[in-house]
Amino acid sequence: MIDPITLEVLKNAVIGAAEEMNAALIRTAYSPNIKERRDCSCALFDAQGQMVAQAENIPVHLGAMPFSVKAALEHFEEFERGDVIVLNDPFAGGAHLPDITFVTPIFVEAQLLGFAANRAHHADVGGMRPGSIAGDATEIYQEGLRIPPVKLWRSGQLDHDLWSMILSNVRTPQEREGDLRAQYAANEIGRQRLIAIAQRYGIPTMEGFFGEILDYAERRTRVAISKMKPGRYEAEDFLDDDGIDDQFVAVRVTVTVEPEKITVDFSGSAPQVRGPLNAVFAVTASATYYTLRCLTDSEIPPNAGCYRPIEIYVPEGTIVNAQLPAAVVGGNLETSQRIVDVLLKALAPAVPDKAIAACQGTMNSVTFGGINPRTGEPFTFYETLAGGFGARPNKDGIDAIHSHMTNTLNTPIEVLETLYPVRVERYEIREGSGGAGRFRGGNGLIREIRALAHLSFSLLADRRKTPPYGLAGGSPGACGEDLLIRTKATIRLKAKGSIQLEPGDVIRISTPGGGGFGNA
Amino acid sequence: MSLHIGIDVGGTFTDFVVLDPASGQLELFKVPSTRPASDGVISGLQLVMQRLGLKPEQIARLVHGSTVATNAILEGRWAKTALLTTEGFRDVLEIGRQNRASLYDLSVERPEPLVPRARRLTLSERLDYQGRIIKALDASQVKRLAPALKDAESIAVCFLFSYMNPAHERQVRTLLEAELQVPITLSSEILPEYREYERTATTVMSAALRPVVGQYLEALDRRVRELQIRAPLQVMQSNAGIVPAAQAARQAVSMLFSGPAGGVEGSRFIGDQAGFADLITLDMGGTSTDVSLVLGGKVGMRTEGVLEGRPVRMPMVDIHSIGAGGGSLAWIDAGRALRVGPQSAGSEPGPACYGKGSQPTVTDAQLALGRLDEKNTLGGRKLDRGRAERAIFDEIARPLGLSLEEAAAGIIEIADAQMERAVRKITVERGHDPRKFALLAFGGAGPMHAGSLARRLGIPTVIVPPVAGVLSALGLLVADRVHDLIQTFIQPVEAPDLAKMGRFFKQMQRNAEERLRDEAVESVKFSRMLEMRYRGQSYELPVELAGEVLTAEALAEAARRFHQAHAQLYGYEMADRPVEIVNLRLRAIGQTPKPPLKLSMNGAKRGSASRPARKVYFHEQGWLEAQVFEREGLAPPFKLAGPAVIEGRESTVVLMPHQTTCVDEHGNLIIACGGAS
Repeated sequence: MIDPITLEVLKNAVIGAAEEMNAALIRTAYSPNIKERRDCSCALFDAQGQMVAQAENIPVHLGAMPFSVKAALEHFEEFERGDVIVLNDPFAGGAHLPDITFVTPIFVEAQLLGFAANRAHHADVGGMRPGSIAGDATEIYQEGLRIPPVKLWRSGQLDHDLWSMILSNVRTPQEREGDLRAQYAANEIGRQRLIAIAQRYGIPTMEGFFGEILDYAERRTRVAISKMKPGRYEAEDFLDDDGIDDQFVAVRVTVTVEPEKITVDFSGSAPQVRGPLNAVFAVTASATYYTLRCLTDSEIPPNAGCYRPIEIYVPEGTIVNAQLPAAVVGGNLETSQRIVDVLLKALAPAVPDKAIAACQGTMNSVTFGGINPRTGEPFTFYETLAGGFGARPNKDGIDAIHSHMTNTLNTPIEVLETLYPVRVERYEIREGSGGAGRFRGGNGLIREIRALAHLSFSLLADRRKTPPYGLAGGSPGACGEDLLIRTKATIRLKAKGSIQLEPGDVIRISTPGGGGFGNA
Repeated sequence: MSLHIGIDVGGTFTDFVVLDPASGQLELFKVPSTRPASDGVISGLQLVMQRLGLKPEQIARLVHGSTVATNAILEGRWAKTALLTTEGFRDVLEIGRQNRASLYDLSVERPEPLVPRARRLTLSERLDYQGRIIKALDASQVKRLAPALKDAESIAVCFLFSYMNPAHERQVRTLLEAELQVPITLSSEILPEYREYERTATTVMSAALRPVVGQYLEALDRRVRELQIRAPLQVMQSNAGIVPAAQAARQAVSMLFSGPAGGVEGSRFIGDQAGFADLITLDMGGTSTDVSLVLGGKVGMRTEGVLEGRPVRMPMVDIHSIGAGGGSLAWIDAGRALRVGPQSAGSEPGPACYGKGSQPTVTDAQLALGRLDEKNTLGGRKLDRGRAERAIFDEIARPLGLSLEEAAAGIIEIADAQMERAVRKITVERGHDPRKFALLAFGGAGPMHAGSLARRLGIPTVIVPPVAGVLSALGLLVADRVHDLIQTFIQPVEAPDLAKMGRFFKQMQRNAEERLRDEAVESVKFSRMLEMRYRGQSYELPVELAGEVLTAEALAEAARRFHQAHAQLYGYEMADRPVEIVNLRLRAIGQTPKPPLKLSMNGAKRGSASRPARKVYFHEQGWLEAQVFEREGLAPPFKLAGPAVIEGRESTVVLMPHQTTCVDEHGNLIIACGGAS
């Protein structure tokens, strides 16, 4: 039995340990994507694979990481001290291929105490397009190297064959190597720290704590849910298209709020698509947990206990629970945002003081790469662009800011131009793009990038045809727009696709505004 | 006799430390802080002169620690500022890094930009990443813009890549100076470092504070002169160095985080005297706790701070603050966990034992466990132990089914756990082992928690200085003149452009010398640092560059140090990877005369320090009979073994069982903690 004091003291220690992992990962990583943009998260798990503490930098990792540890537990009958499991397979514990997850079992003497895990977005994992975010992929095999749960370290020994196999399949192996080492080091920090805590308090106390912290989060979640208005709520929203077939893709949900319990049913959502917009179940779960966290009590420590009062039904083979060999990279990036939109829309009547109009609803993933003429070396670069934040029940939305499932930083223009053959010509708020209403939706932004060399350029974005909705009578935000500006002509680009840029070409991306709230 | 006076303005009191550098004698005074702060400074100076019978000419130095810059931002009283920036980049200041401050809060806000969009103007000009001009500045456009800037009180100029070539920014200043009578702040002078948002934000912050800081210091200086004091007025900066008041406004942003810097500098001095070069400082007050490091006798620094969501890049004392202090409230949350803070009882109603509130605080727990004495007055008031016990029992113990003692000890343990996490953040997360440090505790509540915190972290020694309450003011008097300069210079370490690098260093040295020339400093020392990283990384590590002359050997040595520093901080190095220089840093230290090491306190009573013993509760042992001493009566060779309580005017020290303490020749309590628990 864990008393309320030990619970709080160990909660500080264990969440602190996850934060120490996170600090180590960000500081030791090699690529700007992890160091500057912090596209990574760390967590600690008990011996059964239940998440007990998480330090996440972006919400899309919330609640998705446990699937990795579960997959590791399913794949391997036993673990040795010094094993490290690595995976990125969306159909076995991953979310999309660029997110590589490390899982390290933690032993105190002979006993398995738990696991340390971390996930980081790698700027390239091979596949048909530099940056591995191909807007035109139709099956996962085109999206990059697929790593099922494998032991990259066995009993402390690195499997050099596997290591070189992974590095041989990516475009920037040096960078990957640095990032993979940082991921290894972060789990080591988590392992050492958890062992030190266990040694101080004893293993029985530690195990008791793991049980109690989950029960504690569950209790608090149930209390928070009981403050929502019970009822059955439905909504639908759409993705513009899947990048291949020109038709809207529906996401539908029915949410049943009962006292202390929520059931989320995605029946009626579109079948999985040919293009890369398919979300695997981990992503759908993650977006659901995110939304409920926003609408209940975000102070509850995120762990497996929070999820016990939440049931999710997702029919297999749909856009929100895709099966092999679906292409999935955009499920994590785009469909996750639409899942949040549809859930917020459905639940607005249940929590009228918290629900907000639609945010931009896309991440505007921009990837480019090629041979850098300054060095003769291949390079890839990945960034996401902010947009309008939805208006709130009591105030305007925010201009040019990341919303919902992402929160990654931009890469400074002075870093970008120093490293790569491009010039940024404009980075400004897109005036007038926020939806009107009693409270105005946030404006999107405009970013113009000029190619200074031959570049392969990919875009993966949405909300170019279906605007972010307004709430309570507010107007929708403006759709996004993507242009290729050449000396002789300006061409409207597909929001999901790749092109070759000539030196001098300019890409102008205008991101969507947020929806307005209330009648103007 | 010529005296030095340190004046530190705090939230409640303005502290004065008067030092006779010849004898080491210290006198301490306190007056209530005022709005404007200069009123309290002046009335305090008058009080000091009257009490000590001082003539104005006997005052040789005045050093001032001020929160005028910080308060201006916190209270929204910055100057009406305009920003001139590169065409196409009007909103860099507002977009920031495009992230939000809170992941799950749909009502999240972005801090209001210090310059609204209407006063952010753009000019057609562009440099490339090497500082080459791609689009020249159009002088006529600048002239045309001038009327639009008429009502601005301050102007900031920040162009892309100006750290590689300041020509356009300087040209704008020259053109505008001919038209306007407004201070103009250039990013290439405030922070010639890459990353446009942070550079813009820092430059704008500096410009917006420049009139505020300038007016405050000019007025104060005038009033000091009215007292016939001729001593120069100096002010503390965020980097724990001091500058003449007349220079402070030009780089006003450097004062922004100066508030706690004096306390850390004072701690460094006390630690140095006591023979400890590596310190963790713990300043635990009523609502928050600040922790910081002293490493090898130097104050631990970092290069970026954030105030109200606004980043500021400049060297500053590395302080980590948490919302846990003596006044933090204990409460039970919806999941039935016992919590402490971040809400605080503040001064109204204050802890339950102050007689008004009914919510228990950490201070109430200390009182209920006998660590504080109800008869001992704290902050001038008697403490109500019965009320504290009732609050703990009613609000915590009974609902959770705990005894009063368990509940009170739990509150303290949880506060300790939060402080442990804060200390780990500034040690472990920065690659340091806390067991190799001494813990220097001050603030009203620090010495009460230091013993148990040291046990949790395995820290062997705790130091409780005698003048804890005025450490900040003392810090002002022992601080050096410090100028930190930076220049971005991205080049491979194995073959950099040595001539250019030399020119940059020379130029920074000239700048620093110019700023130090105006008054007598004993000697000037320069230290040169290279900020380096493995190529492809995006955070750099500072490494010392040895020697006067730039040579390939010196650089190779710096690269070796970089690998070592990387290994220490991150646990691995990559000897085969190319290393690049990112920034050149120069620190110019104008050393101020140091008082003799032996400080003697005024008014120290000698005689019997022993008080009646009383029962004190400890988490592991329960109620124990503890000896009680009065701090002021203690002098070497006093020694004591815990459990014990030592009561001082400013704070109470709790000596845990198995800990021992002695008083050193400077009046510090040195507690031996006997390693980890």
